[in-house]
Amino acid sequence: MKSREQEYREIFMSEALEYYDAMSQHISELERNPQDQPSLNELFRLMHNLKSNSRAMGFTEIGEVAHHMETIFGLIREKQRDFAGSLSKVLFSGVDTLGTMIRAVGEEMPLPDVTTLLDNLDRLVRGEEPELADEELSDEDATRKLELSDLVYIQIKKLDHLLNLVGELIIDRDRILTLSKELGNTALQNTAAHLFRITDELQYSVMDARLVNVGSLLNKFPRVVRDVATAEQKQVELTLSGQDIQIDRNILQIITDALLHLVRNAVAHGIETPDERVKAGKAAEGQLRLSAQTERDDVLIQVIDDGKGINVEQVRRKAVERGLVSKQNAKNLDDDAVRAFLFEPGFSMAKEVTEISGRGVGLDVVKLAIDSLGGQLRVDSKLGEGTTFTLVLPTSIAVKGALLFELAERSYAIPLMHTDSVVSLMPEQLHIVGGVLMASIQSENVPVVSLKRLLYGEGPMPPVVRAEVQGRHDIIIIDYNNRKLGLIVDRFLRQQDIVIKPMSKPLDTIELFGGVTLLGSGQVCLVLDVPALTRLFLARRP
Amino acid sequence: MPDSEQSSDKKNVKADAIIQLIVFRLGDEEYGLRIEQVKEVTITPEVARMPKTPPFIKGIANLRGDIIAIVDLEERFGLRPAGQELPATSYTLAIEAKDYTIGIVVREVPQPLSIPVSIIEKAPDFIQDININDKYIEGIAKVNGRIIIVLDMLKLLTPSEIMQLQSS
Repeated sequence: MKSREQEYREIFMSEALEYYDAMSQHISELERNPQDQPSLNELFRLMHNLKSNSRAMGFTEIGEVAHHMETIFGLIREKQRDFAGSLSKVLFSGVDTLGTMIRAVGEEMPLPDVTTLLDNLDRLVRGEEPELADEELSDEDATRKLELSDLVYIQIKKLDHLLNLVGELIIDRDRILTLSKELGNTALQNTAAHLFRITDELQYSVMDARLVNVGSLLNKFPRVVRDVATAEQKQVELTLSGQDIQIDRNILQIITDALLHLVRNAVAHGIETPDERVKAGKAAEGQLRLSAQTERDDVLIQVIDDGKGINVEQVRRKAVERGLVSKQNAKNLDDDAVRAFLFEPGFSMAKEVTEISGRGVGLDVVKLAIDSLGGQLRVDSKLGEGTTFTLVLPTSIAVKGALLFELAERSYAIPLMHTDSVVSLMPEQLHIVGGVLMASIQSENVPVVSLKRLLYGEGPMPPVVRAEVQGRHDIIIIDYNNRKLGLIVDRFLRQQDIVIKPMSKPLDTIELFGGVTLLGSGQVCLVLDVPALTRLFLARRP
Repeated sequence: MPDSEQSSDKKNVKADAIIQLIVFRLGDEEYGLRIEQVKEVTITPEVARMPKTPPFIKGIANLRGDIIAIVDLEERFGLRPAGQELPATSYTLAIEAKDYTIGIVVREVPQPLSIPVSIIEKAPDFIQDININDKYIEGIAKVNGRIIIVLDMLKLLTPSEIMQLQSS
């Protein structure tokens, strides 16, 4: 196992060498066509990136040279200098020197002395003539080595494809395993068992190849926070932690907007103005923390502010105003249940529309993004002390634990992430309240509905009558956004890791199903989407 | 002069290219699809009914590892007398649309047919007897007294078209 330090170094090297190659190419282009704007822009950008990367890794000399070069390319871009004569010579030698320095880092050799180069670059910035030694660029050209990087860049699309293929392979593997058991042939069973292990390993290797550091996203936030804080006239100090936690790249991509939203919200609405903070006895500068940590197989990302917190009573009032809950029921809801309303579509607490947030785009967007990953979004808040949003995300999108059950002679699956428990109840353990079945699960009243009734039929469901409740009921308790709901199914089958394939077009618009999976028997199994199922129940309850 | 004969032959072929259709029956009419739009023809695999979908979506099926939607065009276009169900054994045409595959279920074995492209006549502006919107119809071919309606599947199978509940 390589140390993280070494891994970073390798990544730095491969990127730096790639920058160097690109610089050489663009500067040659610039020599042919000194006015070439795209090449200039590219060189400027490459120098800037190399500067940041080198400084982050502690290679300050490389950073220094890149910084000087960046300045001059900036001047050329602004037409204050021409890429010609002695200037071009110094820049060429600068690119070469950068190459030598990068290689020296790779070989862990001492870096060459760059004082003359830096002097010359400084002179150019001041508009003076550089002092050129004649022997430059001669020997080194002849002995220059060509190198290939140890790392390959790969399009995420190719990894997606690879992951899909592995998913298909696993489905076929399970089928072969089932068949080999049915046939009872020992040789076949042994081969199948071996195939099982190899595909498992293959799957984890592919999943591993897709992992990136959460830091690659978190590190973009200091700038965001600074900009939002300036616009909102707030003082905010941002602390990041857990940047080296690893997560699937596509998951990170999907939560980017959600996290951006939460951070902007925290600065714009969470953290108070310096005056308000001082009045409330807090430091003028607000604290915002973005942290990542692993918890079993999940990754937790938290946005924590020490701002004014969420006023539960205000949310409760607003929920009643918007007709999300009756006044009577609202009184009995606990704080968690009330805060869950924040995730309802269009539910915004912002009183005024600002440039940063409060444009009617609410937390429901965040919730939807997390839901699409099969993750969870939690909010915790103390009035006057601050708010914490917690995103619970799967490390990988490929495999999910699921509960399989039978309904109308077909198999269905529900992701374990959203299942609370599984119970079998006799009719006397079920009560009818307002036409809805109720069960007492761990001293909590949970509505129960026949999944068959819920899925088939239109309009509001007819109220349940006592005579219909007969025999033992197998019930899956699902949990979404602090709302529990029991689903009566025909029969529990088993718990199993499944590979969820997205629903193919044109059926991908039907949100009730999160996808499909193929069972070992070759049968197609629909994967129910718990958020959509909960919404369907709310829409159709009697 | 064999040379000149050959070249005139070629010209003829070019002017009257032969296309291959896959011909199938929906309701009482015969319909055709260009063979390049048809990926394969198979006996309809086991179809998993999807709740909360329009009735013409028969469900989804596993076709060699691809999960595809199975669509009943007779139902979609109202070409089947009420109450009549599909037979126990039916056939599925796997059609390759732009970025997905979809299955179309038909009651009889589809047959290939080669026709010269020139005999496909433009469809009249509106067609009274059938409910199919004329924009899906590439044309009508008359072959030995048979009338074959040539469909343009790619136009028919846009997701918004296929999910539209009732054709007007």
